[in-house]
Amino acid sequence: MTEKEVVSRLEQAIVNFDEELATKMAEEVINSNLDPLNAVDNGLVKGLDIIGERYENDEIFLPELMMAANTFQAAMQILEPLIIEKGQSRTVKGVVVIGTVKGDIHKIGKDILILLMRNAGYEVHDLGEDVDLFTFIETAKKVNAEAIGLSALLTSTLSGQRDVIDALKQSGMRDTYIIMVGGGAVTPEWAESIGADLYGENAQTAVRKLGETMTSKKG
Amino acid sequence: MLSLMDVFNRAVEGPLMSDQDYYLKRYVPALTRVIQKYKIKYDPAAPLPSDDALADVLFDAAVDFFAEVGAYCPDTSRVMEFTKEEILQAASEAPSESVFGEGTDRGVMRSRKPDEHTKPWYHCGGGIYTTSEAVFMNQVEGLASIRKANSLSIPTSINIRGQDARVRSPHEVLATIKTVTMARDACGRAGRPGLPILNGISTATGPISMFAASHPNFGLRPSDGFLIDSLAELVVDFEALDKVAFFTSIGANIGSTSTPLYGGYNGGAEGNAVATVVYNLLGILVFRGTYHYNAPLHTKLRVSSTRPLLWVIAVANQALHRNAPYPTVNLPYLGGGAGTDCYYYEMAAYHTCVVTSGGNMLSGHPSIAVAPDSIVPLDHVLNVEVAEAAAALTRKEANPMVLKCLEKYENLLKDPPRGLTYQECYDMTTGKLTNTEYAKNVDRIRDEFRNMGLPVEKSV
Repeated sequence: MTEKEVVSRLEQAIVNFDEELATKMAEEVINSNLDPLNAVDNGLVKGLDIIGERYENDEIFLPELMMAANTFQAAMQILEPLIIEKGQSRTVKGVVVIGTVKGDIHKIGKDILILLMRNAGYEVHDLGEDVDLFTFIETAKKVNAEAIGLSALLTSTLSGQRDVIDALKQSGMRDTYIIMVGGGAVTPEWAESIGADLYGENAQTAVRKLGETMTSKKG
Repeated sequence: MLSLMDVFNRAVEGPLMSDQDYYLKRYVPALTRVIQKYKIKYDPAAPLPSDDALADVLFDAAVDFFAEVGAYCPDTSRVMEFTKEEILQAASEAPSESVFGEGTDRGVMRSRKPDEHTKPWYHCGGGIYTTSEAVFMNQVEGLASIRKANSLSIPTSINIRGQDARVRSPHEVLATIKTVTMARDACGRAGRPGLPILNGISTATGPISMFAASHPNFGLRPSDGFLIDSLAELVVDFEALDKVAFFTSIGANIGSTSTPLYGGYNGGAEGNAVATVVYNLLGILVFRGTYHYNAPLHTKLRVSSTRPLLWVIAVANQALHRNAPYPTVNLPYLGGGAGTDCYYYEMAAYHTCVVTSGGNMLSGHPSIAVAPDSIVPLDHVLNVEVAEAAAALTRKEANPMVLKCLEKYENLLKDPPRGLTYQECYDMTTGKLTNTEYAKNVDRIRDEFRNMGLPVEKSV
């Protein structure tokens, strides 16, 4: 099997949520001494791009996003050690810490965003729901995050987003992180009033705006 | 029906499972299976279907699915499982009518049959937040003054004396109490002290505020309605069960609520139709509801008025009211702001689907319910008129009207127009309608609905 064929099948494996094929083709990369980074970037990631487009067009939904992510992980478990061994590294678009703020236990919107960000090449640390404000900050410091995502569905939990920003200001770290806010109760006016860097009215917009903000911040 | 203690025990005795496993290994595969097994298929040409066989098959699919997946309790990481027999028994014992309110405002909300021409229950208002006590009072008085309104959904107050009413804070307890007392006062001012409030309790996010504001000193009564939410999807937490324990103990009306998510674990239209019916069954069996709030929602657009979601709300109501008569009101989150044509077309399409399918009306919530002060009473008068007109139609007669409305607003949903606030339409001191352009537009749209085939009659 040629490298082109293997790469193409990896793409297909993602699009068809075929973990078995993904594993088989990842092993083929190793056995045929092919370039693992090429297999990831031009096979698996291309497949994820197609998945992203289909999600955007309402052709697929959250379960399919999860299946695609699982298929990606199955291949990466085999390819990642080889990439490290060869001294290569995958381009990570950015490191993000995300969670639903204190007092709020809603998760599906956040989980969709996490999948889309991971599929788009971000390293995402999910802190879960009802997250204490210092957990956001401590984790962001620990993992060298570039962005912190704060989700809130309820109007009465919106203040949890402002608390994180206030705590960052208090400790002189406000400009260290891009702050993204979203969730059912959030409006552009609210995001602006608390000094968030970006507001995602839905998961796709949030990923797009995050990319733009990171690019402009990095200059 | 299964005893309430048995229901509670399922949350502590059911099989242990992570939520990831619940969704990926149990929920999603089972949903895919029932959709295939029962051949449930969404038809974009008929957002308001009139196929009784489809409705009945959807009900069977929902029962099978619920019996297979149960509900997930995150506090114990256990699945609350129910047998098919237990679910069907609950369905057969569903309350087909519920009594709300006091005195001359006392009324009966019923489960209606598809194509039934009786008037639906008119539940007016919305739990949208207000920026001042004056706006809150004016809005509630304005809503209570709608003579045909059978019940109210009152706005939310998110601060008290300048402080945010943060979740679980004492400020939230006080703001919730304030909300209830002000609403009851405003109903009295409108001459309708007995008018039931069915979104008990806006402002409360947890059981502590809810229980506190339920104290009879503050004016709520068991004949009002108290909402208990399940989280998407099929998550029943201890907070919800705490509320069930309390409100059943005081003999109050319970409104089970649900927001199945289009684009989430339910996938598209078919999965959401199944889930919507299941949530009603869960409301009967687990929450001991006397009525249900249906609110399927699009995860990206955050509205209820997309074409597939109209189909979902229509077919799910049909399935339910043909097989397990449980009074439902149906909550439309609409993209268009108050007073915009987009809002009116969305509202008309939604109510027409609901009312002809056996459901009851809940006012359209403008600007996806996030624009403050956006409850404008005249809009809610029009909501009532539209729902009343829809009751005169059959599903078959109404589908073309729904299609015409969709043509007008479908392409606006990605960036819907912003609307008006109460203050921009009414005088804050007198509560009189002062925005004549807005009022003229309501008259124009009423005429337009008539020309589109919806026999709307002006009631004020």
